Amino acid sequence: MRRFPVNLVLGAALAGSVTLVALLSFIWTPYDHAAIAVTNKFASPSFAHWLGTDQLGRDVVSQLMVAARNSMIVAFVSVVLGGGIGIVLGVYASARGGWVENLIMRVSDLSLAFPALLFAIMLAAVFGPSLQNTVIAIAFINIPIFARISRGAANQVWTREFMLAGQAAGMGRMTLTFDHVMPNIAAAIIVQATIEFAVALLAEAALSYLGLGAQPPAPSWGRMLSDAQTLLYLAPQLAIYPGLCIVISVLGFGLLGDSIRDLSDPRLRRER
Amino acid sequence: MLDVSNLSVRFGDAYALRDASLTVHPGDRIGVVGESGSGKSMLAQALMGMVPESASMSGILKIDGTEMTRATEAQWRALRARRVAMIFQEPLAALNPLRRVGTTVMEPLRTHLGLSRTQARARTLDLFEEVGLPDPEQRLAAYPHELSGGQRQRVLIALALACDPKLLIADEPTTALDAEVAQRITDLLVRLSRDRAMALMIISHDLQVVARATRQLLVMYGGDIVERGETRKILSAPFHPYTRGLLAARPRPQLARPVPGTKRPRLPTIPGHIPALVDLPAGCRFSGRCPAELSRCRTTRSTEFRTGTGLAACHLLNPAERSKS
Amino acid sequence: MTVLLQARNLRRTYPRPRTTLFQRPEPLVAVSGVSLALERGETLGIVGESGSGKSTLARMVMGFERPEAGQILFDGTDLNAVPARELQRLRTKFQMVFQDPYGSLDPRHSVGWSIAEPLRAARIDNRPARVAEALEQVGLNHGDAARFPHEFSGGQRQRIAIARAIALRPALIVADEAVSALDVSVQAQILNLLMDLQEDLGLAMLFISHDLAVVAAISDRLLVMKQGEVVETGATADVFASPAHAYTRSLLTAAQVAPATGSSPASNRKVPA
Ligand SMILES: Nc1ncnc2c1ncn2[C@@H]1O[C@H](COP(=O)(O)OP(=O)(O)OP(=O)(O)O)[C@@H](O)[C@H]1O
Ligand SMILES: Nc1ncnc2c1ncn2[C@@H]1O[C@H](COP(=O)(O)OP(=O)(O)OP(=O)(O)O)[C@@H](O)[C@H]1O
Ligand SMILES: [Mg+2]
Ligand SMILES: [Mg+2]
Repeated sequence: MRRFPVNLVLGAALAGSVTLVALLSFIWTPYDHAAIAVTNKFASPSFAHWLGTDQLGRDVVSQLMVAARNSMIVAFVSVVLGGGIGIVLGVYASARGGWVENLIMRVSDLSLAFPALLFAIMLAAVFGPSLQNTVIAIAFINIPIFARISRGAANQVWTREFMLAGQAAGMGRMTLTFDHVMPNIAAAIIVQATIEFAVALLAEAALSYLGLGAQPPAPSWGRMLSDAQTLLYLAPQLAIYPGLCIVISVLGFGLLGDSIRDLSDPRLRRER
Repeated sequence: MLDVSNLSVRFGDAYALRDASLTVHPGDRIGVVGESGSGKSMLAQALMGMVPESASMSGILKIDGTEMTRATEAQWRALRARRVAMIFQEPLAALNPLRRVGTTVMEPLRTHLGLSRTQARARTLDLFEEVGLPDPEQRLAAYPHELSGGQRQRVLIALALACDPKLLIADEPTTALDAEVAQRITDLLVRLSRDRAMALMIISHDLQVVARATRQLLVMYGGDIVERGETRKILSAPFHPYTRGLLAARPRPQLARPVPGTKRPRLPTIPGHIPALVDLPAGCRFSGRCPAELSRCRTTRSTEFRTGTGLAACHLLNPAERSKS
Repeated sequence: MTVLLQARNLRRTYPRPRTTLFQRPEPLVAVSGVSLALERGETLGIVGESGSGKSTLARMVMGFERPEAGQILFDGTDLNAVPARELQRLRTKFQMVFQDPYGSLDPRHSVGWSIAEPLRAARIDNRPARVAEALEQVGLNHGDAARFPHEFSGGQRQRIAIARAIALRPALIVADEAVSALDVSVQAQILNLLMDLQEDLGLAMLFISHDLAVVAAISDRLLVMKQGEVVETGATADVFASPAHAYTRSLLTAAQVAPATGSSPASNRKVPA
């Protein structure tokens, strides 16, 4: 069944180029992304401005590049934060078992049922919209997701005989968690993290679109999209560019995560 | 149906299997015995196209006339399960811990034989019954860790038999089974081999199982086939010094008479340490531990010579050598 | 001699999966009413049909599974009554060789790492030397410590599991089919090694095996199990010479271990009703 892994290659190419562009923006953008040039607004694509300029005459390519960086930082920090907490809770629940496990999993089930967007809006309403609150909101929705998956994977590891052997060796459950559970669930978690990264990118775009995320002048695909909305008849391309960027990056990381999962365990594909 | 010549499996410079040659015809029943680590499973895996990726394979391996040494994974997949099937040595290594054993056995029935869910289920129950798994109905839903060692092993046997293979390689199929069940399983395998002209290759440390089930025998040591011939004859009159040592090491129940106050009698063994794969002598692998060693054994390998009971690769059999002494 | 391990009236059941909606199936009785006692330096062989509860008994003795009824005393301490920390400390004194060596080694660690695990738990220094020694003892090479479980043959993995159990020089080893994957000559070497350790260190063993010839060679006493219960127990030689229970007789016949002639008196043997 080893066909050419289209999804993997496509996903890796898309995700890779978005990441490269984001990294590049640290050292180089064609222009200062925030530099306003009212005289040159709505410029069409040219050699000077590859994708033209926006309603304030800012270079679109530079904005998209910096926005890529910002979105990825938000997605990365929130997945690492939420994932980290979730994994700790998950493997701890699995190692302890009994009522501790039950409690942790019930609570995480509850928070999983809570609409994520609603939570972000609440957060913004109480503390004001900011990038920081976006990160917290996205991290928060990741906690139960990672708690669930890592507990499930850890429970599987605990049924393996080498865990008994480790106990027989006289190791405590927490040591065993570090020595055996973590390395054996790492692959599953990395895959999940890639997928959640795509979801976080989308969430960040959505929140910024609603005006709850990145605040001006920090550029963000979501905000660029909502800014362009009012000018849809005048300059439709200004909505298309950030939209395309969102699609490409979400698709890229989503495909990448999915195909790694399928590669690492072909059985999952059929049983999903 | 199977024609192997000079098949070798190497890890770097270390030969796990060196120049193995054999032919298998439909209905043949071949036993393989040998020292732990002597390459028996490697031979079996090579016949299934499943040598580890870190290994390199050379030689000729023909299945039904098709040369398979350079075959692609897809070609192998077309052969496995229906033409060649294998009972793996370690059930926990071969069973997916996340899958119910019923699902595992039903899968090849559905993908290879195209059975429906209910048909596959019924067939699986039959198979479980045939291998003597108690409560087959309930075992369908069990996960590997919920079964006893012997029950897991029987699940694997059922899995290997599922698609009526033409060649069945059984790698230590009875290690986790008590003598009664082991007998039942060996008899089942022999019956299948007779009724369906299925070729059977049994790798086993249990000489009783080998004697009961097979007609021909291969004896392996350090990656080489050192002796071959008719099972019964070799077991009663071994030639190769390794085979002799092996047979002499059989534990005998009479030893169970400790005289109070004295030390328990030690079992006879083959003296010497088994070298690491890379440190094996270039000539006869058994040299260094062999009681009848000649000066050239260490450096040159002997070809196979006729013994009273079959063939053995040993310089002692060389007519030139014999005339000298 | 002193009693090292005592088990009284152990019972363990597993729930069966539901097959009908309205009826809860009877649980599967894996072990029921099993008692045993093991002295220091003694080997108790356990034989019985596949699925008769031998491994379950072993897991209970190791404190991995709680018996539903009964008691296990190791050196006078009730394993299921002590706090987790204390059990963890005690564990360094008894080790187990698992039935399936592949399953009992973590594929993500080198075998040297795995063999050293009990040594780390017991805070023993000089671990590489101890690991190397244990590997050599079971007929492998010290260089094998850096290799991973999947790079070994089945029998080699089994010997790694044994090396791991003996590295700590425990007081008790529970060996579940510990030599089943070995050819008779390597098997004999391992059995001899265990006998050596027994004489040198006073090691006690619970030796589970279906191979009667092996059990005969190594065990002082024998316990025969069938369907979760003990059907016969006694000195090994006596049981072999004159098996009292029909099941034992059929086991002996199937294994082609004919009762030795000129049988010794079956004196100190009891057959539980
Ligand atoms: N992936 C690997 N990398 C390196 N060496 C390997 C690998 N797999 C197996 N070997 C070596 O190849 C040799 C042959 O292994 P094989 O599994 O064929 O032995 P075997 O005859 O089946 O032994 P046993 O009776 O113990 O199962 C062994 O010495 C083993 O250590
Ligand atoms: N975790 C579990 N869940 C459900 N049933 C179990 C579980 N573990 C064991 N059993 C059942 O308990 C019975 C006894 O199993 P055990 O492993 O003790 O047998 P055994 O005597 O070791 O057999 P073998 O010689 O085949 O290894 C078996 O019928 C088995 O299916
Ligand atoms: Mg093998
Ligand atoms: Mg068992």
